[in-house]
Amino acid sequence: MTVYESDLPGVGKKHEIEVGDDERLVIVTHNTGRREVFRRRSADSDAEMLFELSDGLARTVGTVLEGAYFQPVATDSIETVLGDDALIEWHEVPADSELAGETIEAADVRRRTGASIIAVEHGDEVTPNPDPGAGVGAGDTVVVIGSREEVAAFRAAFIDSDGRDGAAADESGGGADADAS
Amino acid sequence: MASGSTAAVGELHGLLALGVLIAAAVSVAAVGRRVGIPTVPLYVLGGVLVGPHVAGDVGLPSIAPAEVLTLAEVGVVLLLFFLGLEFSIDRLIAARRKLSAATAVDLFVNFPVGVALGLLFGLGPLGAFLVGGIVYISSSAVITKSLVDLGWIANPEAEPVLGVLVAEDLVIAVYLALAVALVAGGSPVDALPRIAVALGFLIAVALAAQLLAPRLAPPLGISDEDLVVGTLAVALVVAGLALSVGASEAVAGFFVGVGVGATPLHDRVADRIAPLRDAFAVVFFAWVGLNTDPVAVAGVAAFVLAAAALSGPAKLLSGGIAGRLYGLSPRRSLRTGLALVPRGEFSLIIAALAATSPDPTVARVIPAFAVGYVLVMSFVGTLAMSEADRIERLLGVVEG
Repeated sequence: MTVYESDLPGVGKKHEIEVGDDERLVIVTHNTGRREVFRRRSADSDAEMLFELSDGLARTVGTVLEGAYFQPVATDSIETVLGDDALIEWHEVPADSELAGETIEAADVRRRTGASIIAVEHGDEVTPNPDPGAGVGAGDTVVVIGSREEVAAFRAAFIDSDGRDGAAADESGGGADADAS
Repeated sequence: MASGSTAAVGELHGLLALGVLIAAAVSVAAVGRRVGIPTVPLYVLGGVLVGPHVAGDVGLPSIAPAEVLTLAEVGVVLLLFFLGLEFSIDRLIAARRKLSAATAVDLFVNFPVGVALGLLFGLGPLGAFLVGGIVYISSSAVITKSLVDLGWIANPEAEPVLGVLVAEDLVIAVYLALAVALVAGGSPVDALPRIAVALGFLIAVALAAQLLAPRLAPPLGISDEDLVVGTLAVALVVAGLALSVGASEAVAGFFVGVGVGATPLHDRVADRIAPLRDAFAVVFFAWVGLNTDPVAVAGVAAFVLAAAALSGPAKLLSGGIAGRLYGLSPRRSLRTGLALVPRGEFSLIIAALAATSPDPTVARVIPAFAVGYVLVMSFVGTLAMSEADRIERLLGVVEG
């Protein structure tokens, strides 16, 4: 996959992304921040506009496509892969979790699973690098870092306890390539 | 400020004059936009309607051009300031192989067509030089808007079209610097020192902009308000000084823009000053209309039509060659040519310059010609772009 970038003097910037044999996604970013997304089926065909987005909307949509969108929605989890093995996951803490109402230290997260909690989101309030003594409540979102096994162990211990619907989080990785031709 | 209520019957002054002028320009543009006519010539038309030659002639209150002259000049300075802002010497150098050939073809096909037309219609060497410029320069405003509206901006033809437009900006900066000096006229002995001072001033501005802009940038960059007001102050002072030494205020504005464009403030300035430019540009276009007598435009109809008939195909040819130089298919090259046909704001800036010529024929004929020519070419050009599919089939340039 190659991304071509070029300037559009007086307009903004253009990025072309190869998505198929000859097919390209063309994204025009105006100086005003507006994005227009086109598809060009082959080198010779005209670009067809798919949709346009305001600056703010484009950033949100981009975060969703990237898989890093961070919004506490029940049973939803999001992961970001760091290199081959390490990853960061976001999890909402269920009410019946051992972690709910405990401090990180008391739940013994690090020793039991190997994963570390690097942030806790409580409503709009985010605590980065929480103290071991920091409390976690039901409904809070925890951000966990670790190897695949460690993060899976964390999920098993604190999130998917009592047979809640299984490890549904794993398929969220590379679903963004619109390969339909 | 104080509007003299006893002023000459039927003349609007001050605030009211400005308001009515902008209102007329914007109303005409709003009506025309529904049928897909580009806005630049419509702003001019709005000015014509409330000017002394139409409203004044039928006994309605009209606006004298002098009433909004300074604001119109601000419009010219900001238009060129923006060209400078978007102008990047690095970009030009990066594309120099393809672009220098495309630019040379563009200049050496279209400029001579205009010069020949000027001579043919008896305007003399200076008049022919000015018509050459009017015919040569495509309209960045009209063309860029059409590219975006039609979605061509995402197609390969956008690259040569925008490339040629940027190269034309540099040519027009040099051209305007020369033209201002030439239009002032006088014997060569008188003119030479004046030309030297004017060109020297512009070179000094260009150098100072390169050297000082990075240093001026931090204090200007504190808040958006400081940024807008500070940039405006610098641009207007430099442009005003240019006028006072007989140099082109527009070119001075261009070089200030180039200087600012090379600083990290580029994006913010472009963002904040664009609305200001749009507003003052409307005043400039409408002011051109105030100066325009429709009867005079009708009087040069043959000239306008001849110019359209020759220069339209000439742009199509030079643009088509530019497309080929960029390695595009025949169909895309044809579109490159079609896209470059509209003429607009820069032709009108040259016309405004011609109006100051001491040669009465040049001062009378060329502005009228330019208004008629821009009306025709911007309309025909945008129409040709939106009907490109049909034109391609007509010419048998269809991709297999």
